Amino acid sequence: MQYEIAKKDLITRNAAILLALMAGGAFAFFARFGLGLGETTNLSNNYPWGLWIVFDLVWIALAGGAFVTAGIVYIFMNEDFHPLARPAVWMGFLSYSFVVVTLLADLGLPWHFWQLAVQRPEHSAMYEVSWCIALYVTVLGLEFAPTIFERFGWDRLKDLWRKWSPLYTVLALGLFVFLMSHKIWMALLALIVFGLIAFLTKDSVKHAGVPLILIIAAVTFSTMHQSSLGSLFLLMPDKLSHLWWSPIISLLFFLSAVASGIALVMLMDLLVSYFFDRPYNWERLAGMGKVLLGALAVYYSLRILDVIIRGELLLAFSSSKGPLFLIEIIAGGVVPVILLSVPKLRNNHSLLTLSIILSVGGVIFNRVNVVLLGMNLPGTMPGGNVGTYYPSIVEWAIVVSLVSALFFFFSLGAKLLPILPKVEESH
Amino acid sequence: MSYAVLIDTTKCIGCRSCQVACKQWNKLPAEQTFIEGRPTGFQNPVSLSAKTLTMVTYNEVEDPNAPGGLRWVFAKRQCMHCNEPACASACPVTALHKTKDGPVIYDPKKCMGCRYCVWACPFGVPTADWDSLAPKIHKCTMCFERMTSNTELKELNGKPLSEEEKMVFAESQLKPACVKACTTGALKFGNRDALLAEGWERIKSSPGKYVPHIYGEKEAGGTSVLYLSSVPFEKLGFRTDLGERAYPYYSKIALEVVSPAAMGIGGLLAAVYLLKRRKSEVSGAESQKKE
Repeated sequence: MQYEIAKKDLITRNAAILLALMAGGAFAFFARFGLGLGETTNLSNNYPWGLWIVFDLVWIALAGGAFVTAGIVYIFMNEDFHPLARPAVWMGFLSYSFVVVTLLADLGLPWHFWQLAVQRPEHSAMYEVSWCIALYVTVLGLEFAPTIFERFGWDRLKDLWRKWSPLYTVLALGLFVFLMSHKIWMALLALIVFGLIAFLTKDSVKHAGVPLILIIAAVTFSTMHQSSLGSLFLLMPDKLSHLWWSPIISLLFFLSAVASGIALVMLMDLLVSYFFDRPYNWERLAGMGKVLLGALAVYYSLRILDVIIRGELLLAFSSSKGPLFLIEIIAGGVVPVILLSVPKLRNNHSLLTLSIILSVGGVIFNRVNVVLLGMNLPGTMPGGNVGTYYPSIVEWAIVVSLVSALFFFFSLGAKLLPILPKVEESH
Repeated sequence: MSYAVLIDTTKCIGCRSCQVACKQWNKLPAEQTFIEGRPTGFQNPVSLSAKTLTMVTYNEVEDPNAPGGLRWVFAKRQCMHCNEPACASACPVTALHKTKDGPVIYDPKKCMGCRYCVWACPFGVPTADWDSLAPKIHKCTMCFERMTSNTELKELNGKPLSEEEKMVFAESQLKPACVKACTTGALKFGNRDALLAEGWERIKSSPGKYVPHIYGEKEAGGTSVLYLSSVPFEKLGFRTDLGERAYPYYSKIALEVVSPAAMGIGGLLAAVYLLKRRKSEVSGAESQKKE
């Protein structure tokens, strides 16, 4: 696979707009730390989590594009996705980094974050997610590193990377298993299992250009934290409407992240073509659309089946949360599945674009529902009217600035490093 | 030995000594409050907060025997100190934790301020001090520090204490501030099993006085605060939809499978990769042969 540096000016009009939005966010960030959470946000004891957590959950689900692409390209060896491997990893690395920035703003006492390294909670999904994401960001960094080495011809560093990154990855996986199980023998077992995998796949560097253990670590860490983000809500069967709360919400979170990740990578392909004046590759997108169809079909069938088997389907028509559920399922699932399953519709450019947008939107809406709209909040003891939550200007400003930062740094990277696939001259 | 508090709402007169004692012992500031009026009467404040860790709710209930057909039932509310607390299981840094003695306590030195505990608690107990630049979590600790501090009073007004006086002091020291301040004996501190037995004894010995239910015996897996009432608990604003299963039940399972699942997924992915490569090598070799 060949990649190239995008030939565009570093600072364009769009980049200037993004920089201005980022400056606004930086200002909001200082305001949040200077004035405190109570002063600058509309969070309260009734709504302890708000826009920022919604945003983190949405963004992590979409950034699932990075691990899904890596898995599809290097493990399932699907060539349609290969050109997007690098941009997807770059997008994922930036996304996860910025999620951490949002968390810094959201945490009340972020300077105590090091406590995560010294405390050993037994069954905390938040602990699992924190460690998993921290380790995954380092793996994403290692996945992306060769792009930088190639650009600047740092062959010695690339040799070091080839030699040592598998060892680091195995150790990271072992550490993760130890932290989650609290058992030395489990950690040793993990080191043996992943060490063996690294050994058996060690010639993958020659075939695929990347040690396969890196890809396996990326998919493993992602599977674990994408599902654990769902586990966060297992503690709230009394609050989250049972149209969303389910004992298998963890699995549903993972499957929806796979679907939205694929859809986001396709959307990224469209946006890159649009903003970088590159030819659209509709054939490739239609091929990816088939994979997206599979992912959507698996996720939404399980999602609907789960609600039916638990006997909660009636809530869709009788409860006040019902319409949210129906919109999520029909607009985010049923419509794109129909559009993608008929070849004639799939090959129509606007309908394919529509189904991509609906697929992404459906999962975004799911996360919004799970965190906020689908909740029946009882309020602080003794309970009562909890009012309505609208994010404050500071909350919005930080979110908008971080999305802007993603676009800005993504395109900056594409202009400085060989990230985008080489356009064939015949087009 | 696990401590608990038994709250007999039929004995509560709504004096709020407990509320005041709690503020004094925990050195909590006053807060601007307002009287809501009907239906909560003089209830004040409206809900718990970082500055108010316990409060008495005022509940107007219909009673044909009462003059005017209405009477007040008061209920002291605070952390329920669950046997298996959702807040502690949520906490990523063990800042909240259930002690062997019963109380669920908080360590601000560990807390990151993620507020997952606030979200997770089915009773709506933990609160954050939003006005602060370092917003910590606040909740009732059943005066755990009173229980564990060994302040020994040797003399009073210059006179040495007798052994008996020392014991009386130690016993009063052991109780939570609210229990010590209660004027009518509505609050009782002691061993959970013993208090449960006493609660059922009170219910049985005064037929018709109580509803035959001890709130907290089984709710959300059982709690270390137990309530007796003369009216159904939902009339006192208690949640009766919580079920009897401890809240961490499902997340415990989900998190226990993480480590084995991680290894399983790793192995599976490697197997898929090796099979796929083998297949492509075989088909590559075959097509070479044909040529």
